[in-house]
Amino acid sequence: METKEQAIEVLNRSNYQTLSSDLSDFNKEYIELLIQDLLMYVSDDISVGEIELVENYSANKELSQEIVGVPAAYSAMDAPEETLVSFSEAYSKMEIKEYDVLAKECLLDFLNLHNGLFVVRLSKLNICELTLSVPKQNGAFLMTSPATGKITVIPVTFPFGTIRFLLCELEV
Amino acid sequence: MDMKDAKFLICDDSILARKNLSALLRSFGYENIIEVSNGQDAVNVYMHEHPTVALLDIVMPVKDGITATKEIMAYDPKAKIIIVSSVGTQTNLREAIKAGAKDFIQKPIDQTLLEQVLEHVMG
Repeated sequence: METKEQAIEVLNRSNYQTLSSDLSDFNKEYIELLIQDLLMYVSDDISVGEIELVENYSANKELSQEIVGVPAAYSAMDAPEETLVSFSEAYSKMEIKEYDVLAKECLLDFLNLHNGLFVVRLSKLNICELTLSVPKQNGAFLMTSPATGKITVIPVTFPFGTIRFLLCELEV
Repeated sequence: MDMKDAKFLICDDSILARKNLSALLRSFGYENIIEVSNGQDAVNVYMHEHPTVALLDIVMPVKDGITATKEIMAYDPKAKIIIVSSVGTQTNLREAIKAGAKDFIQKPIDQTLLEQVLEHVMG
């Protein structure tokens, strides 16, 4: 099965289709490609939980990257340390046993890869020309949605735990 | 040029990206590889080391790969620079070529494509 079809199948087992009318095309493109990229580069054993639109999101760590242009967006990922370590190991195919510099670099590398492929897709479709900021890592953070929209929380469960991917379109 | 004489400069802020690209170059038989993590270091190292080929990412701290390409080309108009980035948008492709890059490789790197691009650029 093609990765694209597999991604749609995974999403169809979540509330994605039900929520679809509340999501912008930008959000939908992002989510569908995210699942494809996770299947392609991390694990083919994933499921998507209940996707939510929230006004605030509090995370223990900030692993994020801004998508720059019009529309601009903030993307991030959040999970307990041990899950992040397992994700970095699965993505990099390296032995990573603790939440160290290498683990963080691998997580940001995935975010950068996925966001890059996302903006390339939008560019190829002649939808818009966007670029990316340097991915960043910080401590605990509180994300607040802008007046124009909400934060989309996409929980993806792997054999080693659940990671929440976040996307928020920003006001420009 | 003998493979052992070729010198490569890899510039990427991601440790994983540098490791993967370095491993690919080694698998092709190249051994002389220098790694840096931002565009400013790439410019500085280029001026000292004069690598055969420089492989630069675009989105990096301190100085991005397009600006670094322009500065390296101003210093050495014959520089062989390949942009290796996940952000292969039409704008970035245009900017990279305008800056003087010889080619653009979209991440994740396809091994065969990298080999072909190197052959073309170094040929």
